Amino acid sequence: MRYFVGIDIGSTAIKISVADENKNLVGHKISASGSMFYKYAQEALAELLKELGIDEREVVYTVATGYGRKLFKEADENISEITANAIGAQQAAKSYGNIKTIINIGGQDSKAISLDAEGNVVNFAMNDRCAAGTGKFLDVVAMNLEIGVDELSDYHFKSVGTPLSISSTCAVFAESEIIGLLGNNHSVEDIVSGVHYSIAKRIVKLVKRVGVKENVYFDGGPALNDGLVNAIENELGHKIFVPEYPQITTSYGAAVLACDAFLSESAS
Amino acid sequence: MHTEHTIETSAERQNRHKAMEAIAVLNSLKEDFKSPIRSMGYFYDLFEKVYCHHQPLHEGKAKIGTMCIQIPSEIIYALDAVPIRLCNGFYTDDEIGGDLLPQKSCPLVKATVGWFASDNFSDKPDITFSPTTCDQKTKAGAIIESFGHTVIDVGFPRTKESEESRHYWRESVKSFAVKLSKFQGKKLTRSNLESAIKKVGYAQSLYHKLTEFRKNKAVPILGVDMFLVTNAFFFDKIDEWISAVEKLVSELEQRANDGVNVAGKASPRIVYTGSPPIFPNYKIPLIIEQSDAIIVADETCSSNRMFNDMVAVDEWNLYDMIDSVSDKYLKACTCPIFTQNDDRIRRIIQLVRSYSGDGVIYQAFAGCQVYEMEQRSVLAAMEREGIPILYIESDYSPSQHGQLTTRVEAFIESLKNRKRMKK
Amino acid sequence: MTKNKFSLRRAVNNMNLVRFRFWFQIVAFALIVYGGYIGLDLGDKLPTFACVFNSEGTGGKCYVGELQHDLKHPLEGFVGFAGYAFLISLGMFAVWFWALNKGWCGFVCPLGTMQDWLTMVREKTKIRYSEYSWANRGKIKSIKYILLILLLLLPVMIANSVFGLPKLPNGLSMPFCDICPGRMMIPAFTGDFNQFYIDFSSKTDIVMTTIGMIMTGLFLVGSFIKKRFFCYFCPMAALQYVFSKPALLKLYKDGSKCTKCGDCYRACDMDILEIADDVTSKNLVTEDCTLCLKCVAACPEDGCLEANFMGATIFESTKEGFLVRMAMDQNKENHAH
Repeated sequence: MRYFVGIDIGSTAIKISVADENKNLVGHKISASGSMFYKYAQEALAELLKELGIDEREVVYTVATGYGRKLFKEADENISEITANAIGAQQAAKSYGNIKTIINIGGQDSKAISLDAEGNVVNFAMNDRCAAGTGKFLDVVAMNLEIGVDELSDYHFKSVGTPLSISSTCAVFAESEIIGLLGNNHSVEDIVSGVHYSIAKRIVKLVKRVGVKENVYFDGGPALNDGLVNAIENELGHKIFVPEYPQITTSYGAAVLACDAFLSESAS
Repeated sequence: MHTEHTIETSAERQNRHKAMEAIAVLNSLKEDFKSPIRSMGYFYDLFEKVYCHHQPLHEGKAKIGTMCIQIPSEIIYALDAVPIRLCNGFYTDDEIGGDLLPQKSCPLVKATVGWFASDNFSDKPDITFSPTTCDQKTKAGAIIESFGHTVIDVGFPRTKESEESRHYWRESVKSFAVKLSKFQGKKLTRSNLESAIKKVGYAQSLYHKLTEFRKNKAVPILGVDMFLVTNAFFFDKIDEWISAVEKLVSELEQRANDGVNVAGKASPRIVYTGSPPIFPNYKIPLIIEQSDAIIVADETCSSNRMFNDMVAVDEWNLYDMIDSVSDKYLKACTCPIFTQNDDRIRRIIQLVRSYSGDGVIYQAFAGCQVYEMEQRSVLAAMEREGIPILYIESDYSPSQHGQLTTRVEAFIESLKNRKRMKK
Repeated sequence: MTKNKFSLRRAVNNMNLVRFRFWFQIVAFALIVYGGYIGLDLGDKLPTFACVFNSEGTGGKCYVGELQHDLKHPLEGFVGFAGYAFLISLGMFAVWFWALNKGWCGFVCPLGTMQDWLTMVREKTKIRYSEYSWANRGKIKSIKYILLILLLLLPVMIANSVFGLPKLPNGLSMPFCDICPGRMMIPAFTGDFNQFYIDFSSKTDIVMTTIGMIMTGLFLVGSFIKKRFFCYFCPMAALQYVFSKPALLKLYKDGSKCTKCGDCYRACDMDILEIADDVTSKNLVTEDCTLCLKCVAACPEDGCLEANFMGATIFESTKEGFLVRMAMDQNKENHAH
């Protein structure tokens, strides 16, 4: 059996996807990047293969993507996250429909990608200058509110008051705003809802720069947060598709590309 | 995986955005300052009710929308309707209007037009009267009409010194009264107009009582709270407003006796003038009062100008009452739309003198040509009188906060220095 | 409410001016028209109409009559005793006048009082009052000076040949009294209607008394539809204004407090625009002003307008006074005064 590996080395997490010759997702793994992400990436890959019962010789092509891709020398090829994300999204949402707009909120950046009917990237916008409105921000918020990141969604839907807007555009200053709100006895639910809307507003602004076209796909770790998804849908005025494993879309795309690359190479 | 939530309609989204703007300002008023006033609770709750929960207040009554303060509310009350001043302070609505008006337009007009365009009111006006005051308001009437609303223009003169302009306005008001009367199917009578004049006069007298306390050395009420109280008059039920302000007056009397000061001992006393701060656009007044200064008086059409001048009737018969009402709205008005602005300059100087003001902050909306043009004469007059003045421009967008804070803080620090030098 | 304790100043400033003036005028009217019956004689230099033709009842005589009489004198006589007598008369007039300034018009003059009564009647009938346009008002201002000059000149021209003209007939000796509505109206209040007649003794008399009847008719009709109609043309007002500057009772304005709301102008029976629009002058007793103080009562600003006697403020505009008078000081149904 031949397998294809896509490895997305992000600043916060390493995501690895393994696909088979039919481009189906066979398995995936997410682990922390840490400071020695190159070593951890190798280790994670080895672990994943072992779990899936795949021998490393069965892996015929590996593509690396993400922030640390160029340093993963074992890869056969490396591509930008934009391309990988686009491919991964289309593949993951095959049953849903043709994806033309992708929203990605990562650990430390966020992007919006616009595709044409064939799935080629025609436009993209990125916010990689600061962590406001990214996964990092949500981590900080959850920590300040003394709840788990995975609980954010529940709190969002329990909010009955008006969401409390966070006016700071910087994650660091927003932290003090949140502490202030807590100090004035505002409910955690309203604060969480306010944070989600604050992120949603920012990301919608970014997406509108590339143009919103059906169907809209949302991935990245924060897409697991259903409350955030709802906030984005409300700000956008549009339904969005969230895959089953939103963190791995990009790595999955890399794996799919690995498959295509290998097959076309062997054909020629 | 499909997302299974219901998505907001655009009206709901607009309401949520406005609610978020509103609650942020209300929370600031409630939490950022010392010595909170118990009676202000009525007003905080009122604004939350109307702007966060979008509850209608005037069901079953005819709602008469007004643009600008010159439409006589006495006549509206006399004809058993409710006047609702539609000047809008929301950035959400400003953005909507921004697509419909030229880029450099006044944010207040954009917001009002945006509001009408979205047709999303908790108390929707059945008919709107628009006086021809500034250019942008004047032209907005027809634009709003094109969205399917009923708008009646009311001719307002650009000069007020001449006999013709006074007669013109009196005729305009009579024509307005006739049209509203027809719309309501009611007639203006001696007794209903007399009651309305006295009730509005009484409401005005309450404002005067409130503002009197701000002459004290220890000021018991914040300028932003005063703005909220007067803004409430735009849309609240008049009897409830009156009763809430009566309670506020009693509480302030007690606070004044106890020497309660909502500002610091050395806080500079500011007279605020210019484009009206309309809820929730209290950006600049909040910056001022958060920078250790206190607004003791203002010369704006969303506050002082609405309540300052009284209707004086000589013969309590219908003909004289209508003329008295018209005259009040024209002659003393210090709106910058007039050709001459000596009255406005004298008013600002008089406010500085009687409220012991240390400085004036003149705020103009970027795009408000009349206020921007008056800048020169007002600054020159203040210089002659030796009154320090800061001129700033702003609009409704939340982004300029840092810049504005820096300028205001610098001005306030210079006032503090002046005071210390004098000693 | 702050300052709940009684203070005289506050009570005065809150007063119901309309009622005060009404009763003051009635008392003054009674003294002038009926004072004679109780032996009152305030002299004949009064700066108010007090008709000599009301021989029994009058409590005094108006100086205009005296003046016309004094001036019917050969001019040579003025250098000497007649001249002194004239100056002393004039001086006495001035002294009386200085006590109340133009307030004689607003509070004492019986013709003024009659006009105010007619205005009250009209107000009850809900008929609208008439106003002059500003241009017209400007034009009629000079009429009272013309009448004053005539009433001074005509008697002189009876006793002297002026500019080579022949002496005027004696019928013109009291030219203003002939045409004054006071001659007919004041005695009427004592039941004496004899003055309503046309004197056929001579051509001059016919003309003058006919004009007099017309003037009285105009007086009645005019002051019904226009507040204080007659006062615009009154030569007594013209004469008084000459002496107004040094008078003891003054109307002062503090222009810095004025918002130019025009409430004072609305209230003014004489449509004096300056009271509202002049924000630089201190003394606002203009030639038409009757010092009725309605402007002070209608002003809603503290300390903007005041009636001042010898430097002391006796009645000034206050926010509170305004609210009390307009019945806006409480939230209930009551009528303003």
